[in-house]
Amino acid sequence: MGTETIEVTGHIVDSLLLAKILDAILDAGCDYEISDVRIGKTSLDPSSARIAVTGDDGALGPLLDELQVHGANRTAQVDARLEPAERDGVLPAGFYSTTNLASDVRVDGTWVPVGNPEMDCALVVVPGAARTVPMHRVRAGDLVVVGSDAVRVHAPARARDTQVFEFMASEVSSEKPKAVLVAQVAGRLRAARERGGRILVVAGPAVVHTGGSTDLARLVEAGWVDVLFAGNGFATHDIESNVLGTSLGVSVSEGVATEGGHANHIRVINEVRRHGSIAAAVEAGIVSGGVMHACVRKGVPFILAGSIRDDGPLPDVMTDVVAAADALRKEIPGVEVALMLASTLHAIATGNCLPAGVETFCIDINQAVVTKLADRGSHQALGIVTDVGLFVRQLADELLGPR
Amino acid sequence: MTAGTLGWGRRILMCPPRHFGVLYEINPWMQREVVVEPDKAVEQWERLGAALRAAGAEVVEMEPRAEVPDLVFTANAGLVNGDQFIPSHFRHPERQAETQVNVEWFGRHGWQVDRLPDDTDHEGAGDALPFTPEGGRTVLLSGYSFRSDAGAATELADLLGCPVRPVQLVDPRLYHLDLTFCPLDGRRAIVAPTGWDTYGRKVVEALVPEPLVLTEDEALSFCANSVVVDGTVVMPATPARVGRQLEAWGFEVVECRVDEFLKAGGGCRCLTLALDVELAKRAVSPPG
Repeated sequence: MGTETIEVTGHIVDSLLLAKILDAILDAGCDYEISDVRIGKTSLDPSSARIAVTGDDGALGPLLDELQVHGANRTAQVDARLEPAERDGVLPAGFYSTTNLASDVRVDGTWVPVGNPEMDCALVVVPGAARTVPMHRVRAGDLVVVGSDAVRVHAPARARDTQVFEFMASEVSSEKPKAVLVAQVAGRLRAARERGGRILVVAGPAVVHTGGSTDLARLVEAGWVDVLFAGNGFATHDIESNVLGTSLGVSVSEGVATEGGHANHIRVINEVRRHGSIAAAVEAGIVSGGVMHACVRKGVPFILAGSIRDDGPLPDVMTDVVAAADALRKEIPGVEVALMLASTLHAIATGNCLPAGVETFCIDINQAVVTKLADRGSHQALGIVTDVGLFVRQLADELLGPR
Repeated sequence: MTAGTLGWGRRILMCPPRHFGVLYEINPWMQREVVVEPDKAVEQWERLGAALRAAGAEVVEMEPRAEVPDLVFTANAGLVNGDQFIPSHFRHPERQAETQVNVEWFGRHGWQVDRLPDDTDHEGAGDALPFTPEGGRTVLLSGYSFRSDAGAATELADLLGCPVRPVQLVDPRLYHLDLTFCPLDGRRAIVAPTGWDTYGRKVVEALVPEPLVLTEDEALSFCANSVVVDGTVVMPATPARVGRQLEAWGFEVVECRVDEFLKAGGGCRCLTLALDVELAKRAVSPPG
């Protein structure tokens, strides 16, 4: 499938030329989207339309030739303007800012696919290839695409299985049968696994508070998680609940506050720091269960990114957030499904780095978190508004059978 | 019934056929083995001029040139709009040399010459004729596909300041718009819909309240390639039904055989160019 943009100007409405062109596109088995149309106010004023035509490469070429006869021309195809970055970490003015959609850039007359779609980055061209580069990683002399004329963005591909994936089309809603949604998410995870895709889990501390860490640990142990991204809070409370049976001082099994429990997480962090790392604490037998334990045992990579309000933090927490985002980027190739479990900060950070093609499920009790992710540009995210502890338990039961 | 008037066509450019002949083949009517009889051609051409004068038109003559035999078809010189002249940009190399001759003639006679872009073909009044509905704004119908580009309509609208509606021509035998369309007055026109695609038919249907619709055979007689001088229609052929209808509308029908020119695919209209067309009001009045 390819997309080409054509332009037609003149008295195209009264002369039925626009209607003729649109009919010709459909007759050729192609599809169109009018990206810009200006209709003249009076019969004297010309009208103009920009039309994106999509179709099989075999049909598109002859169609465009035919449309040219009717005065519709391909928009000028120019090569990308490339300007070298003058300093490390600084882009040329007018740099092309990327979307998270699959894109191509025109270099020396050919469309070069962008290797790693990510939003809000620059496009850097090297001989025969183009890649997104976050601003801070641009080096002086890198050839950066300036302007958007020579970049084409592909509309998000339709889900392979429309029936099953139909629910992706609807808005986030709290009024959906949760068991059905859970079963469908499980189906997507199985499908990704069969394709050899990786699964990314982003987890917030509420997973532990709501009693979901045992089930998340089961999923890690059973190989359903390929990479974990979280913050100091999630890892701390996961370890706290395992070592002391509380999460933020509240008994995970009984739901009541324990005496002196407010300091439990600090004590746990201190113990892990004494051992130097979470892995060392697991080795020493200090941590004997939970999600972090499962990750260490299974060799599942985890990235813990810190924030200013962190206690401790745990020795594994990366306090340089730029380095943490880079570490996350390294893990993204191959990821096909992302589960955002009750996390705002880390979910949005992950959404920023993910290509639009990654199926993303955002599970949160708060609808605003889910919409926020979409508002930041991760339109592929499907929101499920529910208690995350219940969701993780149902998901684990669906994939692994009841515990 | 009385015929209305076009408001133009009273001052006509013609070019004597001293060098005319079928020297190349660029439409299905041209066959190089067909021999044009020069004396007969001159005689027919003169009779046409006389018929136009008799109808009340002033005929202006331009000097023929040996190297451009088709200069005789002045309809293809370009488009006149008041004091503005847009020379044709010919698709066939055989005719491209005509452009410079026409540019010089019109420039010398006081017209302001505006040019189409170099990559845009358009064959002047042969492929574009105005229609002014009663009480409405003049619209230029512009044929495209065989000789002119659809995109020329956009350029022409810009240059002329009047709406230009492109109509796709689909019958190679009716390769110019003026073989399919002949405006008669503010309500009527002779139309040959078999020469247009379905969209073009709808465009003309919406524009012309009372069309005289030709059958395919009637259209191929070239009867739409007629010259209208007020209430007189000078026709290269007059199918009986067409003649009766025109007379019923109050037009005087004058048949003027130009068979020698039909050998090259041209009729009465092709041999003439109205110099008094005003498509959109312009500041300066047309050159006298």
